[in-house]
Amino acid sequence: MVRSLHFPSKTPSVSRFLFYSFFKTLVGQQVTVELKNDLAITGVLISVDQFLNIKLDEIKVVDEARYPHMIPVKNCFIRGSVVRYVQLPAQAVDTALLQDAARREAQQPTTAQQGNVRVK
Amino acid sequence: MSDVVPAPTTAVPAPAPETNAVEEPLDLVRLSLDERIYVKLRGDRELRGKLHAYDGHLNMVLGDVEETITVVDINEETYEEVIRTVKRNSEMLFVRGDGVILVSPPSRA
Amino acid sequence: MEQPSQTRSPTDFLNSVIGRRVLVKLNSGVDYKGVLACLDGYMNIALEQTEEWVNGQLKNRYGDAFIRGNNCYTSAPTRLACHRTA
Repeated sequence: MVRSLHFPSKTPSVSRFLFYSFFKTLVGQQVTVELKNDLAITGVLISVDQFLNIKLDEIKVVDEARYPHMIPVKNCFIRGSVVRYVQLPAQAVDTALLQDAARREAQQPTTAQQGNVRVK
Repeated sequence: MSDVVPAPTTAVPAPAPETNAVEEPLDLVRLSLDERIYVKLRGDRELRGKLHAYDGHLNMVLGDVEETITVVDINEETYEEVIRTVKRNSEMLFVRGDGVILVSPPSRA
Repeated sequence: MEQPSQTRSPTDFLNSVIGRRVLVKLNSGVDYKGVLACLDGYMNIALEQTEEWVNGQLKNRYGDAFIRGNNCYTSAPTRLACHRTA
């Protein structure tokens, strides 16, 4: 597997791609997803999409005593918008590459920079 | 998202060269890459960590993070408010931008 | 949708207060006082010499502060009331 972040050169909203590409490089890693309702789930990252929806397998709820109904659940789909944090294995993250990607993305003009954001 | 259109008369500016000038608010965040920053989040949470990545939504990846959660407990007998802070650490943390209230870079005095 | 050029738009107002001390009020009741460095179309705000006030008490100071604004994708943590302070 090629572990690199690459972006299509002429995307109008590059913003969508940085973390999507980043999470794709973490597929197969064990992560802990903490939701906005405080439920935290550890599992293997199976897939991610552009909304940062996440599929996890071999899951284990961090505080099982508080959420006993989750014990039989073995895999799950998490809507991106309910995520607060994702704890990542540090050794799986190339921080220099990430920073470069973030800087490169910052150079793209955004709709906000253009000033007039019109809604039809 | 498709209903947001840039004004047709506005020419798309050429990508600005990377500078140290703060011309738009996100420049403050850009200039904090590879620095330790302070982030205030919804739910009385604060983070301190090294900024490795961010995007326009304020999604971020932080390294060597210390999280401080402020909890207000009510004493059941006296109804006094007891303020307590809980600290947690993580090596590498993705933070979803919609919870972000404020980002403060290290002071560049 | 073109504004008549003689009317002052909200954008004109905001441009005219850049560099001045402003008060930014959040929905949560927290206030930020500082010098308005810049803002963008999402109402993200950069303040300098920022003071954080909660219930009339000064809680924090930040040299620079980025305050996340309203944007099209999420419900916003900030309601922006931006007025000149003396």
